[in-house]
Amino acid sequence: MFQNKEMKPSELFEQVYETASYTESVLHAHLELFYDEGLKLSKESDRRYIKSESLGLLDGIPIAIKDNINIYGYKTTCSSKMLSNYVSPYDATVISSLKKAGIIFTGKTNLDEFAMGSSTENSAYGPTKNPWNPDYVPGGSSGGSAAVVSAGSAVASLGSDTGGSIRQPASFCGVVGFKPTYGTVSRYGLIAFASSLDQIGPITNTVDDTRIIFNEIQGYDSKDATSITPEYLKLDNKKVKVGILKEFMQEGVSEESQNEVNKVVSLLQEKGHEVTEISLPLTEMALSVYYLIAPAECSANLSRFDGVRFGIREAASTSYEMMNKTRSVGFGEEVKKRILLGTYALSAGYFDEYYGRALKVRSKIISDFKDAFEKVDFILSPTTPTPAFAFGEKTKNPLEMYLSDLCTIPANLAGLPAISIPTGLSKNALPLSVQIMGKPCSDYSVIDFAESIEEMVEFNYSANLLEENNES
Amino acid sequence: MNLKATIGMETHVELDTESKMFCSCEVIESEEPNISVCPTCLGLPGALPVPNKTAIEYIVMLSLGTNCNITNEGMFHRKNYFYPDLPKNYQISQFDFPVGINGSLEIVLDEELHSVEIERVHMEEDTGKSVHEGSGRIDSAISTLLDFNRSGIPLVEVVTKPVISTSKMAVAYIEELRQLVIELGISKGKLEKGNLRFDANISVADENSNELGTKVEIKNMNSLKSLEKAIDYEIMRQSKQVEKGESVIQETRHWDENKQVTISMRTKEGSADYRYFSDPDLPNMIIDQEFIKNSKKKIQNLPTDKRKTLKESGLSLSDSNYLDKGEKWLYDLYLSTVENTKDSKSTFNFLTGELQGQMRKAEIDKLPEWVDSEKLANLINLFETNEVSFTSAKDILAKLLGEDIDPKSYASEKNLIQSSDDEEIRALVTSVVKDNQDIVERLEDPDDKLVGFLVGQVMKSSEIKVNPGTVKEVLLKELFG
Amino acid sequence: MSENFNIDDVSNLASIELSEDEKAKLQKDLQIILEHVEALKNVDIKDEKIDIHPLSKVLELRKDESKESLKHEDAMMNSPETKDGHFVVPPSIE
Ligand SMILES: [Mg+2]
Ligand SMILES: [Zn+2]
Repeated sequence: MFQNKEMKPSELFEQVYETASYTESVLHAHLELFYDEGLKLSKESDRRYIKSESLGLLDGIPIAIKDNINIYGYKTTCSSKMLSNYVSPYDATVISSLKKAGIIFTGKTNLDEFAMGSSTENSAYGPTKNPWNPDYVPGGSSGGSAAVVSAGSAVASLGSDTGGSIRQPASFCGVVGFKPTYGTVSRYGLIAFASSLDQIGPITNTVDDTRIIFNEIQGYDSKDATSITPEYLKLDNKKVKVGILKEFMQEGVSEESQNEVNKVVSLLQEKGHEVTEISLPLTEMALSVYYLIAPAECSANLSRFDGVRFGIREAASTSYEMMNKTRSVGFGEEVKKRILLGTYALSAGYFDEYYGRALKVRSKIISDFKDAFEKVDFILSPTTPTPAFAFGEKTKNPLEMYLSDLCTIPANLAGLPAISIPTGLSKNALPLSVQIMGKPCSDYSVIDFAESIEEMVEFNYSANLLEENNES
Repeated sequence: MNLKATIGMETHVELDTESKMFCSCEVIESEEPNISVCPTCLGLPGALPVPNKTAIEYIVMLSLGTNCNITNEGMFHRKNYFYPDLPKNYQISQFDFPVGINGSLEIVLDEELHSVEIERVHMEEDTGKSVHEGSGRIDSAISTLLDFNRSGIPLVEVVTKPVISTSKMAVAYIEELRQLVIELGISKGKLEKGNLRFDANISVADENSNELGTKVEIKNMNSLKSLEKAIDYEIMRQSKQVEKGESVIQETRHWDENKQVTISMRTKEGSADYRYFSDPDLPNMIIDQEFIKNSKKKIQNLPTDKRKTLKESGLSLSDSNYLDKGEKWLYDLYLSTVENTKDSKSTFNFLTGELQGQMRKAEIDKLPEWVDSEKLANLINLFETNEVSFTSAKDILAKLLGEDIDPKSYASEKNLIQSSDDEEIRALVTSVVKDNQDIVERLEDPDDKLVGFLVGQVMKSSEIKVNPGTVKEVLLKELFG
Repeated sequence: MSENFNIDDVSNLASIELSEDEKAKLQKDLQIILEHVEALKNVDIKDEKIDIHPLSKVLELRKDESKESLKHEDAMMNSPETKDGHFVVPPSIE
């Protein structure tokens, strides 16, 4: 785009910022916008293009960053009151990579507090609205990151995905969301929710954009001991074997969502791909496994928020009282719930029954997927059981909310790459998507395959908010 | 009822690495707070741990040095508890797969060797340092100041089985462990710097009972002296309770250096539930044979080996232990000197008594470069063969420490060589016997103490220029035939 | 399960003070989740080996080299209270 001088980076930045200026008042997707810094950097990028010294495809592209990823000198709040005043003294590894590539950050995006939630309703700074219909949630926890891409207030964004937190909001907002293979993208500088599940990934308008950004952020990082040196599998995507997961094509998943899968199946069969039904019975346990492992890990990961070295602090006469009170005031309800659940699952006398058992079932799920991928190249399913739901619809019973991650959680448990791409609209004119899961380290093949489906389905809609505003 | 005490020791050894355990901050000794800290060791949001290879090598070396089995596939666990100087509010430690298990350490107590069974050797990270600021009394702090320079420094925890029975044995164990880590080169081993920190678990029970009594943990002992006193005090305290038929409370107590008593610590955590679980930031750790082999290569001389060498040279176990625990140069000097002397004990005595004593007095901590084992051996041989008196030998040593002399030529030059000439001695003896007729008449047998007196008189009359052995020989012949 | 769930013990361990209202609400929600995860009891898990890393990566160790740390000002910039280069907290001993 900049290469052939259609536009200058600073012009694109101004345009994106202009969009933000009218979408943000409705959506509340950005928690903070970096206008001055962004404009300055985009002008530097202009000059690089003029001198033909551009840093690559991403030089000058405005990208939004989920506010649980540290950028030096800026606030990282995790949408929590706890970190309302916290300024990061260092860059996350993905941020360093993107800076080197000449990316401009539009700002930080809203999320469910500490990435715990599926609707962005758990943000201490108020929810983000869905650009397709502000009465509906954008999904979560990367709701802000999905909404900005959908609304055009950023060209792309980074989110984090622990149980579906990139794919589910991408699906709700009608954009592409990719969770890479565990360990391919450094977690250094991502504020941990559940370390063995968390993974940073891009949210974009097109699958190609996802490929470009993933390419930039992936790779071994010596600062993250769980990071891997990936040897990517490269599949010939001309004729592939696709498995349809039976457990996600039954009760519990809406007909609308199932229909999207069926639609894609027909298109794939037309192209001569082989589609078979597969069954992984233990995926029905995935939610239970997830709701023990993630809270257990988070209960320790979030212990460091104690008012001692950073963040807010409540006054008290002893350190212990101060920590108790600070954590009481600083954390919201959902965060407390998960910390308590995890604390209980790890406590003396309950460890084997809960956390220990969950780890073992997780191991079994991993080997079940291994077996399944002996038979198929990709697994196709809905991304979410339903399209976006309305605000308040699922806040009464925690399980209802948790169930919206039903189809996305297994990929996190098994560390698999998984992508969500929009395929159609619901009867309420809300986006619907399918999810493609692949073998570990088949990230580029998953992306290639998703791109071929993207071409087949020709999803040519965009968020209402944008159209209305463009018309006016 | 006769009571016996059972003691188990938990010792934290601070490893001497360049960087910290899980981050690249330099390990420093500094008064200036919070200057060697980073997101990881400060527990900032988003930071991650990456373990230090040298620290793992060191713990493998220590595990081998304590005859432990090495766990080939292990992992790190999170130990959860809230304390302001623990940045993440969990400590990365090891739980069910410590690096070393079921070992033993040979220690010396008086003239006997004992083996202290080691339960486990595991890796962990240090906390920050708290300074309690206030009225000067520890129990009325108005605020706590935190410095995280120490946070994340690698620690190895060595835990013994409850097999120690006295405070002296506990001290000998710590001395041995300290020597081991110094010898391995894995820790500076300075107690006063907190490089080794120990807690003692003490219980008292009926001598005939197979069961242990209630365990009390004693913390805050900063020296071997306080370790010994704290254990003795605690054994006495518990014994009194048991004798009175009272039950001992399971608790943690602090050694109060000023009051010389142990005092109960009210713990904040209630019943500790550390919720150990495998750290998801750190994948399973494999310590394979190759790694163990490489670590083994770095082990040169274990204290037990040194002790063996010393014993083989003819020293007693306690003298061997003394040199083994002492400074390395002295150990080396002894071994090279004893090669050229006849008597190991007198060589040991001369080096550890005379030489070290004179060096202390002269306030020198390093031998002058001209003083080598050959000269010292020559000097020792001079008085061993009675060519010079011991007194002269001491004078020669003093001279030698000041300037480069050859002991033997110096002795001749200064006329210090004792005569063994029978004629000369016989004349002196005859003269002394004549002058001391009253004593000679009181002599009953050759073992009489008064013989020594007469020898002394002969020596005196010769101005200590004759060989006392020969004098005695001649004297006895003269008197008893 | 749930009859053993003592919210006071757990909030104590987690160092989070809770109001009575919060306790009631959280207790209810946690009960629902704990009941749901009961299903795991029906899975046969004997002999299952645990790998911490989902891809079974083995730990790589870092070379013992020191690198530059945070600047002191950056280390302290978020500190709620500071004195003489230290972080300050209310007394941690009584
Ligand atoms: Mg310990
Ligand atoms: Zn550090």
